[in-house]
Amino acid sequence: MEVLTEVGSLVLRVYLLRALWTALYAQNAAPMNLPLHSMITYATVALLMSLILEVDGTRLIREKIREGTIATDLMKPISVPLYFFSDGVGQTLLHAVLVVPSLAFALLMVHVDVPPPATLAAFAFSFLLGYCVNFFLNFLMNSIAFWTLETFAVQLIVRWVSDLLSGQIIPLTFFPGIFGRLVFGLPFAAIYSTPLLIYVGVIPASQWMTYFAVQILWLALFGALSTFVWRAASRRVVIQGG
Amino acid sequence: MPIIQTRDLRKVFRSVRRRPGALGALRTLFSRDYEERVAVDGVTMSLEAGELVGYIGPNGAGKSTTIKMLTGILVPTSGSVDVAGIVPYEHRKDNARNIGVVFGQRSQLYWDLPLVESFELLRAIYGIPQSTYKRNLAEFVSLLQMDDFLRTPVRQLSLGQRMRGDFAAALLHDPKIVYLDEPTIGLDVVAKEAIREFIARINAERGTTIILTTHDLADVERLCRRIVLIDRGTIIYDGDVERIKNEYGRFRHLVLRFEEPVERPQLPGAELEESAGVRARFRFDRNRERADLLIREASERYKLEDVTLEEPDLEAIIRRIYVEGYESRTEETVS
Repeated sequence: MEVLTEVGSLVLRVYLLRALWTALYAQNAAPMNLPLHSMITYATVALLMSLILEVDGTRLIREKIREGTIATDLMKPISVPLYFFSDGVGQTLLHAVLVVPSLAFALLMVHVDVPPPATLAAFAFSFLLGYCVNFFLNFLMNSIAFWTLETFAVQLIVRWVSDLLSGQIIPLTFFPGIFGRLVFGLPFAAIYSTPLLIYVGVIPASQWMTYFAVQILWLALFGALSTFVWRAASRRVVIQGG
Repeated sequence: MPIIQTRDLRKVFRSVRRRPGALGALRTLFSRDYEERVAVDGVTMSLEAGELVGYIGPNGAGKSTTIKMLTGILVPTSGSVDVAGIVPYEHRKDNARNIGVVFGQRSQLYWDLPLVESFELLRAIYGIPQSTYKRNLAEFVSLLQMDDFLRTPVRQLSLGQRMRGDFAAALLHDPKIVYLDEPTIGLDVVAKEAIREFIARINAERGTTIILTTHDLADVERLCRRIVLIDRGTIIYDGDVERIKNEYGRFRHLVLRFEEPVERPQLPGAELEESAGVRARFRFDRNRERADLLIREASERYKLEDVTLEEPDLEAIIRRIYVEGYESRTEETVS
């Protein structure tokens, strides 16, 4: 049942996106290097990616802190962050299964370009890096609960900013002037924009390595920050209730 | 060489003082006062391997905070702690291998999985050798009678079943030390007794060191020779259960039941505490008066239907200590 509603809502969103971009392109001249069919491909793939990326595996951290059950995890000989990561990957894989029927239906409705295998592989690799950056971003945000117990507001803000600046809704190449250059310098670009622009061919093969490097840089930075935050957090654990 | 050793262990919690109301909440954002709460204030204690100690105190006395420092999930504000040669908060994971924990109020089992799957997961987490795992599981299943619900998801278990599952889960990896935090809370009398028997057996047969935190003093009377009493973060008594009973059990009660109502009965050497119709309750000092003489005296004065001598139970003693505070009465009893 859940599968049906999820696929249903996805099909609707694919349809709306196609209608929206088609209408927008009809009003304005197509931006260079991103014709309509590429744009629809971009939007559809972004939607499918969001099925996986919006699964917040680290939500468990906040829940466990609020309920105090993190105590029992800390009393086991395990690395708790790694446990959260494994749990997150598990949840993601479960949701990834949903992508398959969604993809099949989406393909019936819109034409999605399929790039050559090398590009596809580069996309997959970049997506994996983006997934990890996204994980650490969520991890950091949920870890705020160690101090405040509540993270809803912060997450909502970051989510909005990230939706806009990650290239999930609008390709970052559409942003004008200085702003356009700035958004590429933000970590959010590493999550959606880089894999997607590789997919549609805006980032040519010659620049793949540079973009991977930037993603890896963000990953390393967020990873280090998460380690630091986790250390500080676990020194000040206040277990709820008793 | 003690297996658990703490010295001047202290834990101070600092929290933001919140002001009431919406305006107060806003002001809290800008100017913060902190309030400090001393949860544990200089606890020094040591336990030998194989001991079974009752760790007792009223709510908020600092019991759980101490246990959390022993498990390594809380960092002490000051003082030292050593558990089986490891400083818990510095080597949480190494320490975790040595300990097992049972919380009566909170399960460590995986809610959605059948009980036995939780055990399997713990086997993987602790890297328990297959042979040890099989032997322990078989033993616990038979001792705790878990055959019937081994394949039932934990969320469907009764409290008694879940507690048995939690005990098995805490002991599968042969921990040297086990912390039990109110392990019999909410259980019926039969289930309580089964759990107590299991605890006694694990302690006797495996030599597991056990710290038992509980509000049910029947647990302590049944299981522990030694108790550590904590109140407002400090240890107020550490020693034999028998000794505290002697110190505080100076007063006993004699309950008389008369054949017909007696108005204000009198008994030399005993003090009337309450009387109602055919029933009267006297208090006397065990060191000065002899119960048999008092009973003889009473039977000469009144027509008695029934006589009961009330021994002070641990619960009554502890209740008094919580209310009045503890001061050693050793001198009085020695003389």
